[in-house]
Amino acid sequence: MPKTKSYRGLTKELFDPRQIFEKRESLQGIRVLEVCHVVLGPAACDYLAEFGAEVIKFEGQGGDSMRFVTPYAYFWKNLSLGLEIENHNKYWVGMHLGNPRAKELFLDLVKRSDVVVDNLTAGTMAQWGLSYKELRERNPRIIQLHCCGYGSWGPWTGRPSYDAVAQSMGGLSSITGFEERGPLKSGVWIADWVTALMCAVGIMAALNHRARTGEGQFIDYMQAESVIRMLDWTWLYSFKTGENRKRSGNRDLAICPSDLFPCSDGWVALAAFGDEEFKGLCKAMGQADLCKKYPDPTQRLQEENAREILDRITQWTKTKRVQEVEELADKYGFAASRVLSANDAYHSQHLRERGAIQEYDDPLYGPMVEPCYPPRLSETPARLKWSSRPLGFDNGYVFAKILGLPPEEVKKLEDEKVIFKWNPQIPSHCPPAEWDGVRGVKLPFSSERKHNG
Amino acid sequence: MDDKTIVGMAEDAEFARWAYQETCPEDALKKPEALAHIRVIDASYASFAGLFASSILAEMGAEVIRIEPPGGDLARKMSPYGIMIKDSGLAYISEARNKFHITLDLRQEEGRKLFSQLSAKVDVLIETFKPGHLDGLGLGYKHLSKKNASLIYCAIHSYGQRGEDAEKHANQPAYDIIDQARGVIMSITGEPDLDPEVPREYKRPLKHGSWIGWNTGGAWAAFGILLALFDRTRTGRGQFIDCAPAEGLLAISNYLMQYFHISGEQMPRAGNYDYAIFPYTYVRTKDGYTFISGFADPNWTALCEIMNRPDLRAEFPTIKERLNPHNQPTIQHEIEKFTTQYTSDEILDMVQNYNKRRDKKGTVVTGRLESPLEILGREHWNERRTFVRCNDPYYGELLVPNSTFKAMSRTPGRVKWVCRPIGADNEFIYQKYLGIRDRKLKQIKL
Repeated sequence: MPKTKSYRGLTKELFDPRQIFEKRESLQGIRVLEVCHVVLGPAACDYLAEFGAEVIKFEGQGGDSMRFVTPYAYFWKNLSLGLEIENHNKYWVGMHLGNPRAKELFLDLVKRSDVVVDNLTAGTMAQWGLSYKELRERNPRIIQLHCCGYGSWGPWTGRPSYDAVAQSMGGLSSITGFEERGPLKSGVWIADWVTALMCAVGIMAALNHRARTGEGQFIDYMQAESVIRMLDWTWLYSFKTGENRKRSGNRDLAICPSDLFPCSDGWVALAAFGDEEFKGLCKAMGQADLCKKYPDPTQRLQEENAREILDRITQWTKTKRVQEVEELADKYGFAASRVLSANDAYHSQHLRERGAIQEYDDPLYGPMVEPCYPPRLSETPARLKWSSRPLGFDNGYVFAKILGLPPEEVKKLEDEKVIFKWNPQIPSHCPPAEWDGVRGVKLPFSSERKHNG
Repeated sequence: MDDKTIVGMAEDAEFARWAYQETCPEDALKKPEALAHIRVIDASYASFAGLFASSILAEMGAEVIRIEPPGGDLARKMSPYGIMIKDSGLAYISEARNKFHITLDLRQEEGRKLFSQLSAKVDVLIETFKPGHLDGLGLGYKHLSKKNASLIYCAIHSYGQRGEDAEKHANQPAYDIIDQARGVIMSITGEPDLDPEVPREYKRPLKHGSWIGWNTGGAWAAFGILLALFDRTRTGRGQFIDCAPAEGLLAISNYLMQYFHISGEQMPRAGNYDYAIFPYTYVRTKDGYTFISGFADPNWTALCEIMNRPDLRAEFPTIKERLNPHNQPTIQHEIEKFTTQYTSDEILDMVQNYNKRRDKKGTVVTGRLESPLEILGREHWNERRTFVRCNDPYYGELLVPNSTFKAMSRTPGRVKWVCRPIGADNEFIYQKYLGIRDRKLKQIKL
């Protein structure tokens, strides 16, 4: 079909990952100051960084706590994977903003920046004399987003939050799991990643508003509330029926069929809600009677009917291989897919040719293969430039390039411990053991080499 | 609002008062909207990824025109147990906020013409059809951008618009379960592989309870649209956005890809355990479940002191032992021997008392696992207006989650109305943008 072919040609041309570095970036020229630690705040800034923002990340002397969170306590080339995953393309400064001199340097940077993000306990920046009021005095266009579990005011403000707490306080855990078993956490820190995404959305709305009006603003964002927002019909259902939404394993209570089914050689996710799709599925199964029995989608959602339908599909899939079901879905127009593993995704030609997984050479860590944030933008695509960095790795660059401080003054700030670098006693602060003291340094000063020595 | 409610448990009461002034819910409706100048067509079909994306834009003030086929979007029928309120299910009602609803028949020549005319007048178009479907109708990016060079065209589909798998599965519709299955996260979510106490039949991939594939995919789409709008303020140019919700999950799958890259190995399903931070888990209590953490050495010592279990501290002294997947079931079950003797609130009391002690060794965090009905009754969410309750003239008494962007100090997000019946805004929108009056409108099959 020539029509399909031309669409294929067009999309191939528009989204060619080999062209990424020839294209512009949405956030070129936007500077973000990241006063964040753990996952949520850094991830929000990471999304902006992969779309072109210049993100400057500040760490205290102990370092971001993710420097110590890595699977099986395995530190690869002195790197913690827990830190690496939400920190790309950033500039790393070791400086505690509670230090009065650091505060002045920070305010100088605020004058030359667009966005400040913090996920400290509400009020911490205010106690350092860095509340939004003070930032705005230096730069009326500045946007600040503060994110924490329960927001900056209200009965629960000040309560600490973690990803798993937010999953539980927001109701996600209570509806995740099998009906007859206990509640389960997500396999990943989902409440961090997704809240971070909503934070990035809020920042983008504020940047768009500022582009039109010149006005900055303060954004107060709540992690547990963002989990609440992700639970689709849960709230209206409880409000109308007075009941809790129950756990239902892989079965979707609002779409039937939509579930995970057993095949002879594994699991297949399958869904067919539309009339044509359901007809197609019944035809593939050779059970046209099922389709006649339940012609309307809402009929199929009623408990007893749904159980019958899901049971009959189960009996059928058990006799098939996963790939057979996928092929039948292609042919008959319903949805079916295997459950992809890390191995599948890593080796997927599809994801590589889309730029969803990108390969790059990091000057410190060598060849890296990682996901790059979606969506794919035809004119201003996301890209991976470099990985996370040792503590204070870019002090020299940031203070020389942006604030114009001469090398001796940077050295003085270091000597007086206003700014600092990695502690050689703490491996996950440090560059890889084999680092030559030069690679990856953006503006090399002699002090860099000394620290390596 | 009284001062005690505003200040809550704040470390800095002055800051809480200031933040309340800046983001006070009573003032939200008086303030401007960030996207009041932006017009959006949401032509998504049977997809809450599309609906979630346009909800975010609509909460920020964009004028969103939902285009449905004459009988209504199939998404209106996606509702638990088939519960309907008039023409809509519970899920649709929650995601129709601030949108205008018109109908249009893409199977008719006339409908395609109207679609093209409307697309010429908007800033953003969202669609969720099978890849290339609109292109085949002469309504793809290449057609629409000819008339409207600044158009931002966002296509959302599980497999994306291009690539090997998108071609192979071009005839498949998109669903949340497919996004979750292809997003890799599902492969490691569920009951723990390595816990001998878990029956074998539960050791299989598990989806998140809610439509995390669709909702996350929709949020990525909205992010991409806002990035493109920002770029457009500087260049005047539109672009094509290819959003695959499955990639939206893959991109946030912790360190699964990175760990595979450095080790060539996959990680097992951890259940409520966590192989990079533990204890950091849900445990059974007398009256349900509670979260409990004590990972770093001082915090683990603190937890063991609270439980009066110095032997546990001695047995698992460093994070190396606590992150060993084979030790985690043991540690979990030992902690539960303690927690099952108390209610979640009693445990919270014990932990808070310990954390106040001068000789504390570290900090333990705990919090009960909440059910939806408990959440609906919490004072904090009530004061923060987390939910919007209204009496809709057509759908009656409703409650939906509010915009989570409602605490933006200058341009708070908001819910102005909840839902509209199928085709309810045909007259207004067709008159406003295309000058089609009553009599003519009746002649068109909408």
